[in-house]
Amino acid sequence: MEESNRQVPVTVLTGFLGAGKTTLLNRILTEQHGKKYAVIVNEFGEQGIDNDLVVDADEEVFEMNNGCICCTVRGDLIRILSGLMKRADKLDAIIVETTGLADPAPVAQTFFVDQDVANKTKLDAIVTVADAVHLSSQIEDHHEAEEQIAFGDVILLNKIDLVKDENIEVVTKRIRKINPFAKIIKTTKCGAPLKEILNLDAFNLKRILEVEPDFLESDHDHEHDDDVTSLSFVSDTPLDMEKFQNWFGKLLQTKGQDIMRTKGILDFKDENDRYVFQGVHMLMDASPMGKWPENKERSSRLVFIGRNLDTMNLKEGFEACKSE
Amino acid sequence: MTTDLNQFPELDKTKFEQRGIQLEIGVPVTCAVSIGNNIAAGFGDGTVRIFSSGEKHKTLKAHKGVILCMSKDGDNILTGGDDGYFLKISLNGEINEITNFGSRWVDHVTAYNGNLVCSSGKVVYYWDKNKKEPKSLNHDSTIGGLAFDAKGRRLAVSRYGGVTIWKKDYSNKWKSTKLDWKGSHNKVSFSPDGKYLVTSMQENVLRCWRLKDKLDFAMSGYGSKVKSFAFISDTSYLATSGAIDAICWPFDGEGPMGRKPICLPYIGNKQVTYIEPFPDEKAIFAGLSDGSVFLSQIENENNTIIIRSFTGSEVSAIAMTDDKSSIFIGDMNGNTLWTSIWDQ
Repeated sequence: MEESNRQVPVTVLTGFLGAGKTTLLNRILTEQHGKKYAVIVNEFGEQGIDNDLVVDADEEVFEMNNGCICCTVRGDLIRILSGLMKRADKLDAIIVETTGLADPAPVAQTFFVDQDVANKTKLDAIVTVADAVHLSSQIEDHHEAEEQIAFGDVILLNKIDLVKDENIEVVTKRIRKINPFAKIIKTTKCGAPLKEILNLDAFNLKRILEVEPDFLESDHDHEHDDDVTSLSFVSDTPLDMEKFQNWFGKLLQTKGQDIMRTKGILDFKDENDRYVFQGVHMLMDASPMGKWPENKERSSRLVFIGRNLDTMNLKEGFEACKSE
Repeated sequence: MTTDLNQFPELDKTKFEQRGIQLEIGVPVTCAVSIGNNIAAGFGDGTVRIFSSGEKHKTLKAHKGVILCMSKDGDNILTGGDDGYFLKISLNGEINEITNFGSRWVDHVTAYNGNLVCSSGKVVYYWDKNKKEPKSLNHDSTIGGLAFDAKGRRLAVSRYGGVTIWKKDYSNKWKSTKLDWKGSHNKVSFSPDGKYLVTSMQENVLRCWRLKDKLDFAMSGYGSKVKSFAFISDTSYLATSGAIDAICWPFDGEGPMGRKPICLPYIGNKQVTYIEPFPDEKAIFAGLSDGSVFLSQIENENNTIIIRSFTGSEVSAIAMTDDKSSIFIGDMNGNTLWTSIWDQ
């Protein structure tokens, strides 16, 4: 009984056209790993992958009638995942490939919104394959390329054999500016060990504590107003829970379309527990995560990734949540 | 006498479990239909099992993957699978391929009087009983469900944004009308009297249209998605899953608008996941998320009996034979019960 109640981890694989997603999928399907992985590909994918465990999807995105305007989900994914869950053989993981131009948010949101999907599967991580040669220009020309970097938990910086070392440095910096908490793996032919890509549990709140992101000091020198950037805040003064909930709730409600991802660890006044949260657009998962470790300073840390962040008065809003 | 409170109470087998045949097949039961006095059940490993009274069940290897949907055409079973096959299977085990879509799944099947219908993705394929090649009926989004009306004249196709109703006109051309409501519509059904059309939605709600004037309304208040519903005793009630009670909306007289549903409670506060009508009676079989199944009279909540006790796995199929003598129950872990209903 326990076995059938296990949630199958689902990895979302995204990345711009030609970055190397198909190379990675072929590796996942053909390498001898003794695991059973199903792959959901787009019907207009780059090239055919022939395997019994490949399912064609049509990337049908629809809005939920839940009053949340940016809450779009992948209808086809709900259908396919519930079909896969009826299989006789249990899957070790499912990989969902999104097209080069697709916004990964609806895929991620499907796991928050549909109860059946949430009961039987769990979002494991968003893996973005980036082309080290072309990423910089793709980011300039296509907002999707930037968004895929913004959403990633892991970024495979692929084709590094074709790029000079100093240029790799430049691309890495560019990625870091958009997304400070993703793990960057440099590869040629997507040759990273699968254990660094699959089964990461990146959406588990406990994991956020374990792999405490580098809350980099953010800078403000971006070129375009619609650039995706990140901002992070730290406070050693405990926060007032009510003030924070009011501010943050309203912020996600009104600016959720521009805020792509949020993560944080919070220290509330008069609370013994650490609060951990993370969100994709307006949807958020939050929970107390046990007591603060004895040997650690208590502090609140918060990171936002999105567009137009500097118009949201985030610093002022966050400062105002500090308890006196 | 003392009572040992630490001892977990031994769950007694119901009398139906005692006299019936219980199997632990270990593969999800995905669907079941009655064919005369037999039951055909579809499984997650592509097998179809046929249960008949007085003999051992037959196991047929039909599909390579999950059997996603099942219907019947006379004495034949129709199945669609994630292997892309649409099959017609006779009771004695003869399997005929109607078509094969390759890597595309056959999501829904239905039939009326020899006309066979299936959907794959956004397209409905309709085989007129006199023709070899199907007619394709195209839609803008993926199909959530198919249903004929009681006379087989109208075919309802649910999808994102509402329902398309297809009908042949006097010159035998396909004509469609649309019922629009924003959101994703899954299972669809006409009421037996043909006056209403109901869909269950991606949200925890049912949408209903009164067809004479296209007046539409919602039936809401559910704690989860309504995956199973059925009209009861012609069109007296619409019984639905999706809550810890079986929710039965009155459809007699002027219909359900402004009226309260009857809520049939079950012990244990588990979600109702499957509803199967007891033919011609104001009574239902309700399957729960813990595997238990109850038979209830809608207008007398005290008249509820337990058919199958707890198995720990969500009920995913119930079917009763046409002579109302026996029922089949299956769940997501592959526990099945095949039993006569009446005491000897």
